[in-house]
Amino acid sequence: MAAVQFLFQRRKRKLNEMNEVAFKTKDVTLLEILDRVLDKGVIISGDVVISVADVDLIYLGLKVMLSSVETMERLRGAPIEGPMQEPT
Amino acid sequence: MADQELVYLYCVSTRKPGRRQLNGIDIEIYSVSFQDMHAVVSKVSPEEFSEDNLKRKLGDMKWLEEKALQHEKVIEEIMKQGTVIPFKFGTIFQSDQNLENMLRDNEGNFRDIITDLEGRDEWGIKVYCDIKKFKLALEKEDEKIREIEQEITSTSKGKAYFLEKKKQEILNKVLDEKISECTQDTFNRLRTSSADAKINKLLPQEVTQKEGKMVLNAAFLIEKNRIREFDDILKYLRGEHGRKGLEFDWTGPWPPYNFCSKEEKGS
Repeated sequence: MAAVQFLFQRRKRKLNEMNEVAFKTKDVTLLEILDRVLDKGVIISGDVVISVADVDLIYLGLKVMLSSVETMERLRGAPIEGPMQEPT
Repeated sequence: MADQELVYLYCVSTRKPGRRQLNGIDIEIYSVSFQDMHAVVSKVSPEEFSEDNLKRKLGDMKWLEEKALQHEKVIEEIMKQGTVIPFKFGTIFQSDQNLENMLRDNEGNFRDIITDLEGRDEWGIKVYCDIKKFKLALEKEDEKIREIEQEITSTSKGKAYFLEKKKQEILNKVLDEKISECTQDTFNRLRTSSADAKINKLLPQEVTQKEGKMVLNAAFLIEKNRIREFDDILKYLRGEHGRKGLEFDWTGPWPPYNFCSKEEKGS
């Protein structure tokens, strides 16, 4: 995937035991990005509001994405929970 | 339902980027400015990003992965030219005007944040623990455990059985305590050389796909000209705690996602 190849070229690096620069595996990089992009940064209510239920969906999705295909199939079949309280 | 394109916000920058296609990314960015603050945006389709559609799309993992990566890539590009305040994924406006209003409303707040971020980068640490290996190291190093081990070898079979059980009990009780000492040491050493720090929640193994259990997840705001100091800190940490089964994932530089809020200053 073009996006991931771009990441390999980034100056972002993981310093391994021997203190050499080593490029991260695709999955570890993805985890680091999602851990930031989906949960951090300035949180401002734009005109499109993601509710708490949507955020739970993202976290369920985060687990799903990095799990096995089998788990993914099983979880996709699970019912989505009803609407929850909007954050104040 | 409006057909009009929506405005997707990536970050606010101190330098105005020209309207352009970014290298390797299939997105045309432009900026909405308020005085010297420039919101970096692109037009997006309501088919993907209207409230109803976005909610639906969030369940599509391939879509989410692609969009999240794009979000990050845009910010990393802009970051090359100036200080950026990254926004969370999915910050969307109906119009440039609405966005400009938001900038005006938050002017003071954003200026304060930019002041704190200038000349600094975010770096992150994730520490994983191989529990089995850690326990083995504990057995060798903890005095109380070593004493019991001595007793076990020199006593009767029956008594040895009970002593072994007692040993396991003590091991499990001190395990958390000892891991905590290591993570505290890790955090403190990194914190001391940083402008700011934030401890984040631990992620479960099904998400990390790592064998070890995540025991520390933290972000640090570091002066760009001090980053070399951290090589030594990591070297020390790996030397001191690595043999106990602790693994250190040190990554960066990141856009400062963890340091965009005045209320959330780390200790």
